[in-house]
Amino acid sequence: MADSYLGVRQEILRRSQNPDGGWSFYQGRQSWLEPTFYGALVLHGERASDRAWALLKSWQSSDGSWPPTAGAAISGWGTALCLTLAQIRGDMGEHYAKGAAYLLKVAGTESELWRRALARLGFFDPGRDLSLKGWPWKEGTSSWVEPTAHTLIALKKASAHSPDSRLRERIRSGEALLLDVRCKDGGWNYGSPWTLGEDNRSYPETTALALMGLQGRTEASSSVDLARHWLEETPSSMARAWITLALRLHGVPVPDAPGPLAGAGSPDLTILALEALGAPGGNYGLLKTEMA
Amino acid sequence: MKIKRRDFFPLAGAGIIAGYAGWEGLRSRLEAPTARSPVVVLKAPSYSVDLAQRILQGVRECGLDVRDRRVLLKPNLVEFDPATCINTDVSVVAAAYEVFRSLGASEVVIGEGPGHRRDTYSLVEMARYREISNFDNLFVDLNRDDVSPVKKFADRDEIYLPNTALRADLVVSLAKMKTHHWAGATLSMKNFFGLVPGSVYGWPKNELHQIGIPQSIVELSRIFHNSFGIVDGIVGMEGNGPIQGTPKPAGVLVMGRNLPAVDATCCRIMGIDPTKVEYLRMAADGSLGNVEESHIEQRGENIRDVRTNFSLLDSFHGLRLA
Repeated sequence: MADSYLGVRQEILRRSQNPDGGWSFYQGRQSWLEPTFYGALVLHGERASDRAWALLKSWQSSDGSWPPTAGAAISGWGTALCLTLAQIRGDMGEHYAKGAAYLLKVAGTESELWRRALARLGFFDPGRDLSLKGWPWKEGTSSWVEPTAHTLIALKKASAHSPDSRLRERIRSGEALLLDVRCKDGGWNYGSPWTLGEDNRSYPETTALALMGLQGRTEASSSVDLARHWLEETPSSMARAWITLALRLHGVPVPDAPGPLAGAGSPDLTILALEALGAPGGNYGLLKTEMA
Repeated sequence: MKIKRRDFFPLAGAGIIAGYAGWEGLRSRLEAPTARSPVVVLKAPSYSVDLAQRILQGVRECGLDVRDRRVLLKPNLVEFDPATCINTDVSVVAAAYEVFRSLGASEVVIGEGPGHRRDTYSLVEMARYREISNFDNLFVDLNRDDVSPVKKFADRDEIYLPNTALRADLVVSLAKMKTHHWAGATLSMKNFFGLVPGSVYGWPKNELHQIGIPQSIVELSRIFHNSFGIVDGIVGMEGNGPIQGTPKPAGVLVMGRNLPAVDATCCRIMGIDPTKVEYLRMAADGSLGNVEESHIEQRGENIRDVRTNFSLLDSFHGLRLA
């Protein structure tokens, strides 16, 4: 097991955990929320994961959001990741409640009332339905595919044990937004499907993440074939890792990893953790969403 | 007390407050450029000519001394598309590395924080940057570097920037000569968007768009004013740049210490009136640099001899140089 594709990655993650309990993107640097989240998922059930969660909890801001790294005064998209992790760990206390309230409050600025009014009056053509609310990378900016997908996973998990109608409404709206901005080729760009009238091409990474956020939606199935194609074609190890996760979460068979160290083209620990999550025997099921 | 950029403190603990003070001090020391800014234009008809020799000539003509200085080379790797020419060519990056090492810099690193794509190492692979000898040991992914806050950025209280860039004594903007569908042109100053970390602000760095692209360009150039511009105009991009445009051979390298002057010169080569480009107007108004032709000391090729009009989107036809 230790020398398997999964085992090799688990072992590297155990060895590379920072003394504070977090993980950096690249070994020996400061801890960041994103690699710490994925490291905690890969090693879920181990002491290393407990330490990671303890660190992340200590970072939460007074408004309920999480910053991307310790001390950064930024209310960020990582809040969704922490909310997901809290639920996976069954830690639904004050941290969880404040985080959920924050995510319900925040929306991309493009859906603000005055912008919708200007669009309706014909001052500009948004090319999309501005009544649909997604989530931004950083509060006070526009919504984008990736933070919206992460938040949908967190809120869908939350809806399984909460009757709050606001949760369901934001999930409905967020899913509709993702479907509204799907590119002509069937995948997702990082935001809009077009720029200045020109179609944008979709990316494998964002397509995978959108598919993860759209678990359970039959409209997403037409994009799964594109994701399978990209699994073969993309040179990006990060894209392959995310596509593998997305396909597994959609119940699509994925070829086994070719060898213990295959695909190690980047020293980024986040990619390593994503590969471990999606590996046979990996913890990808933790990101499954089932709405009540 | 003089405070240098290298005096900033790491993110953790009390260093944040001290770092703020350092940056405020640096900002207040900026003064209006008084002399004419030298900008060097050298012909380079293809990427197979001796680029190192040309870059060395440009550096010397500008009187740049990099001995014992820490140098960050910042290419444009915002995205990759094999069908066009989005990135600073690998041969320009390799030649610049060779030149700055040979001139006695204490450290030369290559750093970029791509604005669109998450997998930085996949981009450097596709753009063939890994063909540069020892590249993995020279490269810093600025999207995921450790960061520190810098006080006051446009109307924001602060901005987080990568420590590798903040520590550098000189940031060399290895830009691509391209049109830009929002800013008009993307050259040595706009290239600094890649210094803003995606791990904090996301992909794309929408915070900079919310603040305003011209304002953000000027603010970043103000922070990283210890800089040198090398613009790869050997093959630029025209039309719907910076991603979806078409290749445009201009056959030049443009270099200089004052980035607004470098960009203004590039604009004139591209057939764009720099005084109508908003970020350059703001840079000139804010005493960041020289944009008027009479305030730029042109060296090397004459602009008239190398000018080649880049096609512009309809919305930018008003920028065309007479």
